Amino acid sequence: MKRFLRENSLGLVFGLLFLVVLVGQAVAGHADFNRMQLSEGLPEVSLGRYLTSASFGTDVAENWQSEYLQFFLYTFLTVWLLQKGSPESKSLDEAGLESDRDQKVGAFATDDSPPWARARGWRLHLFSNSLGIVMGLIFVGSWAAQSVAGVAAYNEEQLGDLQDPVSWAQYVREPDFWNRTLQNWQSELLAVASIAILAIYLRQRGSPQSKPVGAAHTATGIEG
Amino acid sequence: MLRTRSSQAVAVALAGLLLAGCASVDDRSRAAGDVAVRLLTAVADRDGESACSLLAPDTAAEVADTGDMPCAQAVLDEQLPGPGTVTGADVYGQWAQVRLTDDTVFLAAFPGGWRVVAAGCTPRPNRPYDCVLQGS
Repeated sequence: MKRFLRENSLGLVFGLLFLVVLVGQAVAGHADFNRMQLSEGLPEVSLGRYLTSASFGTDVAENWQSEYLQFFLYTFLTVWLLQKGSPESKSLDEAGLESDRDQKVGAFATDDSPPWARARGWRLHLFSNSLGIVMGLIFVGSWAAQSVAGVAAYNEEQLGDLQDPVSWAQYVREPDFWNRTLQNWQSELLAVASIAILAIYLRQRGSPQSKPVGAAHTATGIEG
Repeated sequence: MLRTRSSQAVAVALAGLLLAGCASVDDRSRAAGDVAVRLLTAVADRDGESACSLLAPDTAAEVADTGDMPCAQAVLDEQLPGPGTVTGADVYGQWAQVRLTDDTVFLAAFPGGWRVVAAGCTPRPNRPYDCVLQGS
């Protein structure tokens, strides 16, 4: 058990932190929602009602979609894009899909390679891109969820302002949808650019996100 | 086999939730429409007490303040249209809009059910509805 916890501590700790922070968001969001209700002369709603509201749904989904977009883009674009001196980049001579030998697929698969790495055709192609594909699908699903919850939350505000509600097709052309979307995208893209560039010159001893402390600033594709 | 049964159970549960959600929205729309019609009917029938009991607290207070008399009297002086029939309704969270043949009414959810926040509303391009009766 102790060994299991140690060997899976990264996933477990982040999973636990996610749940704690999600609960925190729910509590803070509920309090904020009720503050607005009272300011409009309306009754407070229960936590259960808030958790099933479009307001909570869109607040959660809009952050999820941007995080998964970030990892989807990072996973795919780092196949071809390089950053000299960064541990986030491959070596400068490795841009692209690399050879079957380097990737241990097909005839070069080893005994402990996953079965679909030994396969040919669509299974190998699918498995070779499975990480990016799943990240991309979760991004698309979260973004769609944001738009559906977003139109309901937007329409709740519209009615509260004594204005007509809009359809989903109208909402995805509204500034509210794109403001919520783009403000999340810009922060994720800034974070990626920052880690790729700052890691050229800065170090975090022991972290795989950093080069070894003594590595040269020009060394590329080395993880500490 | 177990997986198949689990998948079926999940599919049935999801379908149930979807149907329950649709039914819930329909029920809430109908309830909002009922309250809107009851308000306009009460005013048409000169039943101020019943009319004010269907208003949101802030709206009832605003009606009384504006008329400088109790809500039950003041609401009868408001130039509200007759009840007509409900032509459509939208419900989003704590808010509802009910469209009638001669009126548009906005309602909010309260512990006792829907209450009218604004009535006698006419649309204005790119601006909130202009309402005969509304809260502050």
